[in-house]
Amino acid sequence: MNLAIYLRRVLLTALIPFLLLPGSGWATAGEPVLRILAWPGYVDADVVSAFEKRFGGRIELTIIDSDAALWQKISSNQGADFDVFAVNTAELQRYIDKELVQPIAPEAIPNTRRQLPRFRAIERLSRDGKVYGIPYTYAEMGLIYDRAQLATPPDSISALWDPRFHGRVLAYNGGSHNFSLAALAQGSARPFGIAAGDWKRNVEKLVALRRNVLGFYTEPEESVRLFRRQGAALMFANYGMQQVQLLKAAGVDVGYVIPREGALAWLDCWAISRGAQDRTLAHAWIDYTLEESVSSLLVSRQGLSNTIATASGNRSEGKLHWLEPVEDVAKREKLWARIVSGDRPAKVLLP
Amino acid sequence: MRIGIALRTGLLLAVIGVLASGFTGYYAYNSSRTLLVGAAEEQLMAATRVLVRQISVSIETFSRHASMAANSPQAAHSLADGDAAVRTRAENHLAALFAAILQENPEFFQMRLIDANDHGIERVRVDRDTDGLVRVTGDDLQEKGHYPYVFEALRQPPGTVYISRPAINRERGAHAGQDKPSIVFAAQVRRDGGTAPLGLVVINVDLEGVFRQLAADLPSGIDLYLTNRNGDFLLHPDPARAFAFDRGQRALVQEQFSAAAVLFDGSTDHVITTTPELVAAFVKQPLSPPQQDAFFTLGLSQPLDHVLKESNALGFTMLRIVLAFSGLSVLLAALLARAITRPLDQIVGAVKRFSAAQQREPLPLERRDEIGVLARSFAEMQERIDAQVAELHEKQDELNHLASHDNLTGLPNRRLFLDRLDLALARARRNEERLALLFIDLDRFKDINDMHGHAAGDAMLRAVAERIRASVRESDTVARLGGDEFVVLVEGTHHPEDTSLLAQKVLTALTPPVPYGTMTLEVGASIGVSQYPQDGQTASELVASADRAMYRAKKEGNRRNNIAS
Repeated sequence: MNLAIYLRRVLLTALIPFLLLPGSGWATAGEPVLRILAWPGYVDADVVSAFEKRFGGRIELTIIDSDAALWQKISSNQGADFDVFAVNTAELQRYIDKELVQPIAPEAIPNTRRQLPRFRAIERLSRDGKVYGIPYTYAEMGLIYDRAQLATPPDSISALWDPRFHGRVLAYNGGSHNFSLAALAQGSARPFGIAAGDWKRNVEKLVALRRNVLGFYTEPEESVRLFRRQGAALMFANYGMQQVQLLKAAGVDVGYVIPREGALAWLDCWAISRGAQDRTLAHAWIDYTLEESVSSLLVSRQGLSNTIATASGNRSEGKLHWLEPVEDVAKREKLWARIVSGDRPAKVLLP
Repeated sequence: MRIGIALRTGLLLAVIGVLASGFTGYYAYNSSRTLLVGAAEEQLMAATRVLVRQISVSIETFSRHASMAANSPQAAHSLADGDAAVRTRAENHLAALFAAILQENPEFFQMRLIDANDHGIERVRVDRDTDGLVRVTGDDLQEKGHYPYVFEALRQPPGTVYISRPAINRERGAHAGQDKPSIVFAAQVRRDGGTAPLGLVVINVDLEGVFRQLAADLPSGIDLYLTNRNGDFLLHPDPARAFAFDRGQRALVQEQFSAAAVLFDGSTDHVITTTPELVAAFVKQPLSPPQQDAFFTLGLSQPLDHVLKESNALGFTMLRIVLAFSGLSVLLAALLARAITRPLDQIVGAVKRFSAAQQREPLPLERRDEIGVLARSFAEMQERIDAQVAELHEKQDELNHLASHDNLTGLPNRRLFLDRLDLALARARRNEERLALLFIDLDRFKDINDMHGHAAGDAMLRAVAERIRASVRESDTVARLGGDEFVVLVEGTHHPEDTSLLAQKVLTALTPPVPYGTMTLEVGASIGVSQYPQDGQTASELVASADRAMYRAKKEGNRRNNIAS
């Protein structure tokens, strides 16, 4: 035998064990792979390894942190790059429109029976009788109050306008949410769709809010700082339990309520992309995340809410208004910019 | 061999020279580079501290402006005088004051008097606009009570000036300051002896304007960074990184310069760092007057290329020096190699020529080094070899003589004689000349030997040889063939009679007695003559013919002095 050929054979033989190492891709082609795209904190490493142990296969987890990034990753290859992803209900609609998701078989996900009834009856998760999203986690924008200053928890959004709390209320600096909030405070059933004749009312309501609050915040840390330093009594919790946890960590004794008008809330669902390779494993994954041991981690580790357990306190009783695209974002933001700048109602409403 | 020694010595010396200058150059360059970076770091840090100091001074100046305006009587009158006309007049005065201050301070966006009541309504407001100052009045005055620079400033202890966090001013209608990075200074307006503040004088300062002025003095290539207490960039050479938090993103100094993280854990108030592209210095500075643990960090950076430009220039100079020295060392190596190998070559040449032809060549004998020793040793060896060769030649000549001459008489012996006869015959044949042989045999030589001893015989033979030689021409060959036989080769004889005459002359010469001690010894000879070409063609024929003639002569002359031919 030619020496060169012999050497090449010896080398190739020596390399084979390395080529077969797990993780190098092709060598493990026989093993099913589930490609998951999720948000920080949704899928922890121990959850991944427990799933892999029970169902076999391997999970490839990718983390995104914005709706834009999510849309880019799913739409770039017609959904063929991922099997399962987490998306909020408002965003889900455009994925359905562009046919980037495929219908889910609810019977393959028996754990949906564990979910609280209100999550099983959300219209926006289905279209034409087909289910496209399974709710997984959510956060709602309730009210945070200082237990030392309020003997009884506020039961209505109107507490934000209560002159008793003048200069002790913190609200969020965001036009879209605030108009929805103003609409809810006035008993509107359609907080995401303000009728043409209702703008004046809502503007006046928000100017009144401005005159009653201490100030407006944008970031959770900022809200906590203002709450503590300025002795606020009541706060609209745009970031929900995240702010409660921060305040508690900072040593403030706060309570958290969903007002009787209900709270604005975002809800993230699992969806299966059109190009999913292994539908069975995808369904198994969604079912698995709805188990008590997995879903409870959202609460204990992340301060988020899950869809299977009744939360403590008043939270569970409250009605939730899942975020929807609003009638005119630009108009809401323009008017809000004037309101927050300090213009009086007449000037706000100028064209 | 010649090229070998020269080349090898030269190469070795050249390599040593090049390496030495190369390493020297490299280490000099490296240490100069380190020194330069160190110097640049120190300069940057010093410049950063100077800037921080200037900013602190600016901040104090802005605070003083706010306090001064807030302490003016017009401010209090505008807010609290019972008479509306007095209030209006005071407001106008205050507006004029604000306008004057704004004129003086181009980095101020706006100055306002804000009421502590009525939701923080603006009472007096002068804004800077693109083409001058604008006094905002009537419905355009806004309620600002929900802004931290109002509600926090109103809660500050008396006499302190509130300084806001730097932020993009999103308030609508703010003219030149709208959507621009700003810092707000707010000073309380109080009535003498009043417990609660009546309102605030608020100055919006153009953050970029302040730093534009400061940065104008910086040398080109130096970039300025400013961060808030979290490390968010407020100023950055890349505008996309400044106020990123305002756009829902994060751009932190501790992410771009990981070394800067120490500024935020409280361990130090300054840090210097060198990335592959930049040298950067950061200094952390609390606000003055102090504002609840608030601080900012200021940084300056300089491209490393820029810092190393001098070092690179130095590097090029070093390179040139290294190249020059390398060239020089190559040249020196060549010269040195030549200096070493030339005398060696000389010696080698001398050895070669000496061994080939025993020729003497000049040697570098005068050198005092090893080569001189080598040359002198070789010269000595040459001398010795010369002496030995001369001795050898002498001995060889002697041996040759012994081999071809008779020991006793010194005459050529038979062998040499036959050689000469052959040569003479060849010559005679070619020139058609004649030659003759005289074969001489002594008469009664045996008797002398017997009677007087061998010594007498020898003396007799020596005398005979001498007499024969004396009686012939010098060109004729006289030889002793052995015992008492002699022979004479006569060349160029023209006539047989000449030979007879010669034979007679020889015989006559031999006739007188030979003295020996006290005695005289009688001597006689018989001579046989043969002639070429008559008596023979070859040497042996001629010798045999002469021999026969000699015997005839002996017989005829009764063994006494006779000649036959």
